[in-house]
Formats: sequence, C-alpha cells, structure tokens
Amino acid sequence: MTSSTTVAPPGTGLDAPPRRRRRRGSPFPYVLLAPSLAVLLVLVGYPLVNLIITSFQHYGREQAFGQPPTWAGLENYTTVLTSETFYRVLGRSFAFMVVAVVTTFVLGTLLALLMMRLGKAMRMLVSIGLLLAWAMPALTSVIVWGWMFDTQFGVVNHVLTLITGQQWAGHSWLIDPLSFFGVLLLIIVWQGAPFIAFTMYAGLTQVPHEVLEAAQLDGAGAAQRFFRIQVPYVRTIITVLIVLSIIWDLRLFAQVYALQGIGGIVEETSTLGVWIYQVGTASGNYGMSAAAAVVMVVIMLVISSAYVRQTLKEED
Amino acid sequence: MKRNRLVATTVATTTTLALGLSACASGSTGTGTDGTSEGGAGDIRVWLVGSDTPDEAREYLKTTFEAENPGSTLTIEEQSWGGLVDKYTTALSGSDSPDLIEIGNTQAAAFTSAGAFEDLTDRYEELGGDDLLPSFVEDGTYDGKFYAAPYYSGARVVVYSKEVVGDTPVPTTWDEYVATVKAATTDTVSGLWTPGKDWRNGMTFVWANGGQIATQASDGTWEGGFSTPEGIKGLEQLQDVMLTANRAPADSDEQEPQVPFCAGQVAYLAAPAWVSGSIGADEDAEVPGCGSGIGSPENLSAFAAPGKTAGEAAPVLAGGSNIAIPMRSANKELAYEALKIMLSDEYQGLLAEAGLVPAKVSQADLMPDGVFAQASAAAAAEAISTPASPKWADVEASGVLEDSFVRLAQGGDVTEIAAALDAAIERTLNG
Amino acid sequence: MATATTTPSLPTTAAARPLPAGAARSPRKKRSANVVFAVLGVIVFVCSAFPVYWMVSSSFLPTNKVRAATPTFFPGPDDFTLRNYETAIFGQNRAPFLPALETSLKVTFISLLVALVIAFLASVALGRFRFRGRRAFIVSILIVQMIPGEAMLLTYFRMIDSWQMLNTIIGLTILYIASVLPFTVWTLRGFVAAVPMELEEAAMIDGCSRTGAFWRVTFPLLAPGLVSTGVFAFIQAWNEFVLALVIMSRPESMTLPVWLRTFQQATKATDWGALMAGSTLVAIPVVIFFLIVQGRMTGGLVAGAVKG
Repeated sequence: MTSSTTVAPPGTGLDAPPRRRRRRGSPFPYVLLAPSLAVLLVLVGYPLVNLIITSFQHYGREQAFGQPPTWAGLENYTTVLTSETFYRVLGRSFAFMVVAVVTTFVLGTLLALLMMRLGKAMRMLVSIGLLLAWAMPALTSVIVWGWMFDTQFGVVNHVLTLITGQQWAGHSWLIDPLSFFGVLLLIIVWQGAPFIAFTMYAGLTQVPHEVLEAAQLDGAGAAQRFFRIQVPYVRTIITVLIVLSIIWDLRLFAQVYALQGIGGIVEETSTLGVWIYQVGTASGNYGMSAAAAVVMVVIMLVISSAYVRQTLKEED
Repeated sequence: MKRNRLVATTVATTTTLALGLSACASGSTGTGTDGTSEGGAGDIRVWLVGSDTPDEAREYLKTTFEAENPGSTLTIEEQSWGGLVDKYTTALSGSDSPDLIEIGNTQAAAFTSAGAFEDLTDRYEELGGDDLLPSFVEDGTYDGKFYAAPYYSGARVVVYSKEVVGDTPVPTTWDEYVATVKAATTDTVSGLWTPGKDWRNGMTFVWANGGQIATQASDGTWEGGFSTPEGIKGLEQLQDVMLTANRAPADSDEQEPQVPFCAGQVAYLAAPAWVSGSIGADEDAEVPGCGSGIGSPENLSAFAAPGKTAGEAAPVLAGGSNIAIPMRSANKELAYEALKIMLSDEYQGLLAEAGLVPAKVSQADLMPDGVFAQASAAAAAEAISTPASPKWADVEASGVLEDSFVRLAQGGDVTEIAAALDAAIERTLNG
Repeated sequence: MATATTTPSLPTTAAARPLPAGAARSPRKKRSANVVFAVLGVIVFVCSAFPVYWMVSSSFLPTNKVRAATPTFFPGPDDFTLRNYETAIFGQNRAPFLPALETSLKVTFISLLVALVIAFLASVALGRFRFRGRRAFIVSILIVQMIPGEAMLLTYFRMIDSWQMLNTIIGLTILYIASVLPFTVWTLRGFVAAVPMELEEAAMIDGCSRTGAFWRVTFPLLAPGLVSTGVFAFIQAWNEFVLALVIMSRPESMTLPVWLRTFQQATKATDWGALMAGSTLVAIPVVIFFLIVQGRMTGGLVAGAVKG
C-alpha cells in the first residue's frame, strides 16, 4: 500500500493512560472492538499468514495460475540474505530514510518556529503555501517535479543556465543515482515538511506562556528555551512523528516507482518496497519477495522495539 | 462460553457490515459487472496493447464479430506495454479475466509455461497451420502444445526525411551506415536517434558484429553473450554512436519518436515500420505528427539497416505480438471466433496497410507497395528473436536491459557493463 | 484540560499570541528581526507553492510553449488554451476521466466513513476500557503498519477475486479500509484518552446516562481528532494506485491515480501540457477537501498527543 509520507497526523500513542478505567471483564469493549478486529483479522491477518507461508515455498507464476507450490524450506531466506543486491537495496533505503527523516523533521520544526514569530497575515501566507504542498497527491507531485527537472524542457535547467551562465539544458537529473535521490528527497521533504510544521506549530502553541516568560526572566536564551522547555513539552509528539516517519520512509514505494518511470536506472535506485515489487509481481518470484518482506518487517521491528516496549509499559 | 459468544458477535457484526456495504455498493457502482457471471451471454473483452493496432482494424473486428455472432458484443480495452507482465499475472488468473489478449512475442513464454492460456493445439490447422509465421508459432508453443497464435510482426527499419538529410545516398553496408549517421550529426540533430533505454534497437549493433544475447549449452544452461569479443565489439560501436551521433537524453526511451523527428532533430530513426503512421499524422491530430512538412509522403522514406556485405540486411529484433485465449476466460468459444477474425485476410490486410507484417506467410502480399513495405520485408528476413526460455520475459520485466544500455549511453565501461548484464541474464534464465 | 476545552488553534486564521521573543532586545533589533522573518516567510511561500503554480500554469499553455527552449513563467492572455484539458478529459485513446473521478470519489468517501466509524468504536474501547488483550491489540496495530503491502498484492487479488468483488467499488474499498484502519485506530485512541473522564462524570451527576454523557460531552471534543484522522484516510485512499491497478483492471472501473498513470504511460511524458492538466484535475478534489476541513484539522492534530 502506498503510505504517503505526506500526512501523518501524529496521533499518538503516548499519552498517559486515563487514570481510572472502567472495570475489567465487561464484554462491552470487545463489542466496540469487534468490527476493527474482524477487518484486521480477515484483511491483514490472513494475508500476513499467507505471506509467511509463501516465504517458505517455491511460488512462481505457475503457482499464481493454479499449480500447487512446493516447499522450499529456508531457501528463499538464504537467497535473500546472501544476495548482494538485497544489502545494497537495504543500505540505500536506510541511508535515504535517515536523510529524509532528519531533513523533513529539522525543516518542519524550523518552519513551525518561523510561523510562531510571524504576524497573522504572513502566517496565513506561509500556511497556504505549505497547505498546497501537503495537499498534492503523491503521484501528482512526482510528475510535477519530474517535469520541473525534465532533461530538455525543465524549468530547473533553464534557471540554472540563467544563473550560472553555463549550458544546463540536456542535463539529466535522474540518471545519476545520487542526483535521483536528491530529487526524490526534494519531493519527500516538500510534501512531508508541511505536516511536521503544522503539527509542531500546534504543539508548540500549547506550551504555556507563563513558563516561557519565567524562563526568559531567568535569563534563558532562545535556544535554551527551545531545548529545555519547548522540546520536553512536545516530546511525545516528536517521538510519534519520528517513529511514523521512519516506518513510512522505509516503506516508500509510490514515489520511487513513479520517479523511475520518468527516468533513472532502476537497479541503482530501487528501495526496499520497489525491489520487493520487482522480485514478486514483476518477475514472478513470489516466494523470494515474501521472504524479503518478512525480513523487512523484522528489521523494522528491531528498529522500533524500544518504542514498542515503551508503549507496552505505558499502556499497562 | 463467553469467548464463544464473542466470536459469534464478531462474525455477526462483520456479516452485517459486509451485507450493508455490498448492498450500498451494488446500488451505486454502475461499473461493469456485466459479462462476469452470466455464462454464454456473449460479451467478450479483448485486450490490445499500445496503439499499434490501427483504429480501422479495431472497428472491423468489432462490427464483424457482432454481425457474425448476433446478440454478442465485443469490447476492446487498450492496455499499455509498461508493466504488462505484472498486470497479466494477476488479471489473467482471476475470475474477471479478459477473453482474448495480445501479448508481446517475447513475453508469451512466461504465460504459456505457467498454464495461463487455453490450449489451441487441436485448432492449429484451422487457424492456418504451417502458414502461420514460424518464429511466432514457436514463441506461442510450450512443451509441444500450441497456446498463442501469431498476431503481427513488426520489423524495425530505418526512417529518414529528405527534408533533413537532403540527398545523402542510402548506405549499402553496415560500415557505410554507421559512417552515414555520424556524418549527419550536428549540435542539434541526432544522426541516429538512440535513447539509452532503447535496447531493442541497440541489439542490432550487437548482432551486426556477431554477438548474441545468450546461447544455450547442451545441458540446457544459458550463457550470456555480451561479454564475447563480438558482443563487446558491438556494444563499443553502439556506445560510440550513442555518444557521438546522438542527442537523445541517455535515460530517455524510444516512445513517441515522432516528436523529435518532426522537430527536425533526428536524421535517421530506427523504429518499427508503422512509425510512419505517427510521423505522417496531421499537425493538429490528437497525437500530432508532421504530415505536411518533414513527414510528408514526398519527404519520408525508409530502408532496412544494411548488413556487413552489400545487399544483405542487418539482423534486427523480431518484434511483434501473439494472441491467446486466457484459461480463465468465461467465453472461450466466442473468443475463438474473434481470434479467427483477427487472423483473417481482411483484418490482417488492415494491419498490413498500417505497416505491420501480417501473421501468415501467405498474407505478405497484402502489404502495400512502397519503400516501407520493401524495407520491412527485407528487415523481417533477417529478424532474430530473444532467447527461447520461459524466463526471458522476467529478464525484460526486470529492466536490466534498459539499465545496461542507459549505462552505455552514459559512457560507462563496456566490459563491466557486458559482464554485469551477462551475469543478470544468466541468473534469471538459469535460476 | 486546555486541549479538551478550548477550540483548537489554527495556523491560518488563528492566533497564538506571538511569543515574547524580542522582549529583552531593543525595539529596533526587534523590527529588523521581524523583517528577516517576513522575508523568510515569503521565501517559504514561494518554494512551497511554486511547483503547484508551475503545474497549473503549464496545464494552460499550448504545446509549443510547453516544449520551448525558454519556459513561460507568466503566461499572457495569448498563451491561454484549454486544449490540454480537452485532451485529458475527452482524449479518445485513453480511459475516460469522468467515470474514474466518480469511482475515486465513491471509493474514497466510503473508505473514509467506514474506517472512521469502526476505528472510532475501537478507539473508545482502547481509550476508555481496560481489558484482556488490550496491549496486544495496540502493539499489533503498530506492527501491521510495517508490512510492505507490495508483497501481498497477489494475496489481496485472490481474496477479492474469491469474493467476486474484482472491479467493484466495494472490493477496493474493503482493502482501503483495512489499510487505513490501523493508523486511524492508533491516532483516535490518543484523542479519546485525552478527554478527561471527569467531564463525563460531571455530566452523569447532572443526570445524563453514561451513554448520554459520552455523546453530549466527549464526542464533540473528539471532532478535531476525527477530522485529522479523516484527512489521513482521505489522502491514503485518494492517492493509492498499486492495489487499484490490480483490483480494478477494467478501464471503466479505474480510479484517478490509475487513470493518471496510464495517461503518463500513453504519452510517455512527452505531452507535458496534457499531463499537467491531468495532474491538476487529480489534485483539485484534495485541495477542496483540505480547504473545507483545514480549519478543524491542524489544532486537532496535537490534542491527543500533547497531554502527557
């Protein structure tokens, strides 16, 4: 599924549990939970079990057309885990995820701080700009940025030619993998930063003024006030935003897939999601793609295990 | 006990929910559920790929079919070449399968070997028997059974406009050809238009120098042929042309060649013969061409890329399509009727007029006279197909050929590219 | 209680008092700082809005201006044409636009409504009750979000096929509901938990039944949460194209992203003008939706999380 990085209402999990809860043992909460549980069991649980089974099978296009699959034992896993391509794709996805999460987050926070300093009219203007970027559908924004970076008629090459005086027309932005990911980063940050900015802004405005004023009177500078007071106050939001951004940026599919359709070398630019799709749906090796997907989930679990543990503790 | 009650509630809620939803959906969708469940109602769906099949032929197929089979309807749904194998893998294995599909000849094996198509072996003679184009029959045959009939073939020719190249004589040998395209290159004009992703035309350089995509040893394993001395020589020559005689971006593909051609940015264009239709289209057509300028009938001409010795044609990729009836089609008999129409002289004549090579050997004389038909016929005589392996379609779907040729166009190291490409092909074909 | 009892603040209209950022500095310094911030604000606006402007302005340009050596930054009246929109909407060789729009709207809104309703029920259970299996449920809805859906396309296709729901709105909608549900439950749960029980209890003392107290007191306070999770569900469903590509194989049952994608392939990125027109058409409904809900949205985003 395309998880759009663009929107991540941070909802949140970290608030302290309500102090008093209704008594244990009532069937009522189960009734409330039933529809969600049913949907998740049927539409996520069953496919997930199926995915795990497939990952231990020889499952190719013949099987998709009805021939019975044969057991493969751990073969799919060994193929994935000994495949050089897998580690390259994994490393690439990770590196991009880290850069994207950090950039989006820092920029989003700076934008939130900027919005707090602006007057009403200017804040409105900035909000409208950010809202437009945020509202753009992922596929649309990839196409628009692809057009702006077009090799022959792109506006970026034109402007660079004007500024530098050198001939940029004909410069392909997508063919070099590093440059490809640069363009991808621009797209992700452009769409993702507004969300972070709005959320952080809304969070930061909840910090009581009295506290900040008191700190200021005590001689705390802006940076100190930010890191000592504002950040701790919105800590829960930050955690949730970061965990979600990590999950979503690692699962990136639609944007990469669409951008590869515009230009670039597939093998050098595929991320985990795209690679899994390539191996499975495109090349018909469903067993191996299932194994890769399981490995990916395990990796994400490891990354977020601290957070999962914390959630468990707080939910107790 | 409590648990059981819970489960019961869960099930009940889901059922209610699902019922409520489906009631609401069936009342409001309006999107076709026709033809899916009623057996023998006779609404068949034909999937044609890309815009290769001309509109006249589509119209002819629909009206003829509906006249011959009263009460039945035929709908043509156009698919795109990009991601075709992905889409067929799901769509053809489901209950809402189309009834008749076109598929690239090099992709057919992936599905014939998977049991995706109806077995047509018993009807081979009725469809034309040995009159059907042999290499396409081979593409549509797996394990001795005939699944996918030839649809058309499209040999690649070299197209040029006199308005751009002037009176330059038509080259007669491969070396002359390479020299000619280089000489026609300027700062804005590609001597030979070679966008990086166009491996299909690029293969001509490899074959012309004696290279191969892959060869099969007696024990059945495949060995990639790009790293052989001949393969390297071909790739080096192609890279030289890409870098010195080409202005197309290294990572662009061969789609819509009429755009740069009509802009006068292309001297020689290697493309399927039917490209003359797109180039010759009116300037204000939906897909605009330049029928009254660069692409006018007086200006436009073509030849088959010449081979090593004069009078021969260079080997080109045997492009084209097969047609097959998916296993899961609900209307196989009607689909077969439509298939027969598509192989008829009348229908194939319409394809031939658009520059395609017909599905039967005997239909070759349906091709209109003129330079394009002559060039097509000459090129088709030397056409070479891709390795005959059910896994070849996976090589194409993986994009490794496009990637490698893009790297060539960027000026990458030929030996490294060839070795990596061979390794990838061997991995897939032997895997 | 601040989040629960005050209306959420909105960046566009609203109003947090400016922080006393410059209180310790001289007025002149403050003024020059303000100028710097205003300039930064304008830069941010231009950077974030330019791609949207570029998309819209290119979509109205004739082909020769789109594919020109010098791009047209400010189209004059002579450059204005609706031809790209004609091509996008009525072009013959591609799937029709209007049915795709209809399908997309239906799929999106049904997914949105159903997901919100059942997620709301679940979040009440999680936020208001303590029961066996609660923690397991919370952790599993987090884990579920880590599964790459691309690996399960074939399974999804088989399931929907076995239910005879290929090429139906309901078939795609079911998958979308499942895909947005984990996140929606997770988010709403925080909002429910953030509304203090004391409010409900006070209402019960005033004579409301427990259910009555919930609907009259707690539910209205959850509106921002419902809006912000709704936005997420909307965007997910509106943008998704891989599942739609697999489930909706007939041209007449395509959704807009699939339509845009075939469009992109058919023109192979050479007819940029028409492609921009198509992109604009796909983006317009989202922008409209955002404009409608934005007032309620942004403040609500935090309500659940900020309480700690």
